[in-house]
Amino acid sequence: MAAEPIVVVRDLSKIYRQGDINVVALDHVSLDITAGEFVVLMGPSGSGKSTLLHIIAGIDRPTSGSAKVQGIDIAQLDESQLADWRNQNVGFVFQSFNLIPVLTAAENVELPLLLTDLSGRERRKQVQTALELVGLADRGHHRPDQMSGGQQQRVAIARALVTDPALIVADEPTGNLDAKSAGDVLAILRSLTLTAGKTVVMVTHDPKSAAYGSRSLHLEKGEIAA
Amino acid sequence: MTFASFIAKNALRNKRRALLTVVSVAVSCGLLVTLLTLQRELTVPPESEAASLRVIVRNKVSLAQPLPAKQLSVVEKIPGVVAVSPFTYFGGNFREETVTSFAQFAVDPARFRDLIVEGKIADGSYDDFIKDRTSCFVGADTMKRYGLKIGDKMRFTGTIYPVDLDLKILAVFQGTVDDRGVFFHHKLLDELMGNPGTVGTWYLRVASADVANDVIARVDKAFENSSAEVRAETERAFQMGFISMLGNVKMLIGSISAVVVFTLVLVTVSTMSMAIRERFRELAVLKALGFKRTELFGFILAESFGLAALGALVGIGGSWAFWTLIDLQKLTNGFLLYFEVTPRIMATGATVAALLGIVSAIGPALAVARTSVVEGLKTLD
Repeated sequence: MAAEPIVVVRDLSKIYRQGDINVVALDHVSLDITAGEFVVLMGPSGSGKSTLLHIIAGIDRPTSGSAKVQGIDIAQLDESQLADWRNQNVGFVFQSFNLIPVLTAAENVELPLLLTDLSGRERRKQVQTALELVGLADRGHHRPDQMSGGQQQRVAIARALVTDPALIVADEPTGNLDAKSAGDVLAILRSLTLTAGKTVVMVTHDPKSAAYGSRSLHLEKGEIAA
Repeated sequence: MTFASFIAKNALRNKRRALLTVVSVAVSCGLLVTLLTLQRELTVPPESEAASLRVIVRNKVSLAQPLPAKQLSVVEKIPGVVAVSPFTYFGGNFREETVTSFAQFAVDPARFRDLIVEGKIADGSYDDFIKDRTSCFVGADTMKRYGLKIGDKMRFTGTIYPVDLDLKILAVFQGTVDDRGVFFHHKLLDELMGNPGTVGTWYLRVASADVANDVIARVDKAFENSSAEVRAETERAFQMGFISMLGNVKMLIGSISAVVVFTLVLVTVSTMSMAIRERFRELAVLKALGFKRTELFGFILAESFGLAALGALVGIGGSWAFWTLIDLQKLTNGFLLYFEVTPRIMATGATVAALLGIVSAIGPALAVARTSVVEGLKTLD
């Protein structure tokens, strides 16, 4: 029996208004992503891959169509429900790490847990586990500016993991990294799908990065090309 | 990590800016408190229970016009009047001073004793003062300020009257709302002036506060249509009349205070806007992680409020300490006797700072709320 899709996108369109012009970012896209998959979204700039990722992650809304994640049509959630949903179900990894510079690595990882009912001790335990998973257990007290780009991105992955979400979205996670660090980060993301059963959806321009995924989807002019 | 430590770290991430914001709020709050205190001191004269029983009678034409001394026999017979004395402002300069730094009044010492009932004899003897018409009765503050003692001479150069005074200190008072004045024999002034038969004002004490208005009406009526019509008023109303000579002090100080507050708003709003604009992407990341608009508004508000509160604490506390510790009489050459930063004024300053903290958070918070996560993430990309 085939595994249940964790992400179900149907007839999804996104149209932006730029002045007097309507720009079609996504044009009736449909796709399924199965739990544990490492899906790579590729395509040229403006093809709609980041828009699709944002809608799946619940930080953007479609113009029409539906995007269901774990059976929940996220387009139907209001702002507050969507914020709770993101906190509990999605981990984010951005191209430029987006760590808070005044916080230590451990505090950055702890941020999403501040919204939970966990005690301080429970939070610290989860933070330590997440940092161990990315190989930075001994760097928790370092601030981002005391770490390399690769280490910062691993902290960002730990932050994405710490709430134990089913879905991790990564937008060009290796865009600011050297080849070695990029390899480390991609290996961690892949291992998350293989060992922890996480579903990863990653946007990239880089074919080498795409090779780490279990499936690649190419977008062109707002449509899935292959 | 807690929400509080997260907010504190954000507020202090740019230490120089945080310090400058706190200092600007502190200076402005201190200035505001000082202005409000000055306004209070100038527009609300000190009150005492005894002052509520005292009435001053002056010439209806102007305070500068004297009154006939013969009015005394009429005034003292008016029902409700229990004591009356001539009360003539001399306005002399002490020693080599070029300004009048404390008031001198010519009085009838025997009658005057019943008028300043709240005053206590701190040194010397009031009876000696009564007996010697070249003597004077001096406030303890003035004695202390000039290092005077019983038996010392006080020389005044007349600025209103073309005569000088050479008075011997025989009694010292304290315990009144203004322990600076000097009182001397009206007879001495009369002699020096060639017995003109006039007084500056009449100073009365009425039997009770209930009859004060009746006494005022009776005094006014007693000299109606005479060559020297009078205007009687309570001591407080009389003092307020003096204050009105300074112009619309309340409006002037109020206007300056408004400018101070407005400038303060501009400074803090601008600072908070800059601080938040720099962190737009971070705030978008927080939104992506699940923080709601209300929580982000709470962060911004707490940060803004915290900086304003710290500034207010330093400014208001510093202002209170400064005005409590300095010798204001010396600093203002006797113009201001008291400069009390009251709890009410401090509360006003704190309220302004609190409102400031809230107002300066609203703009940045609205901007953050209006910006979607995607727009926010693009901000500094």
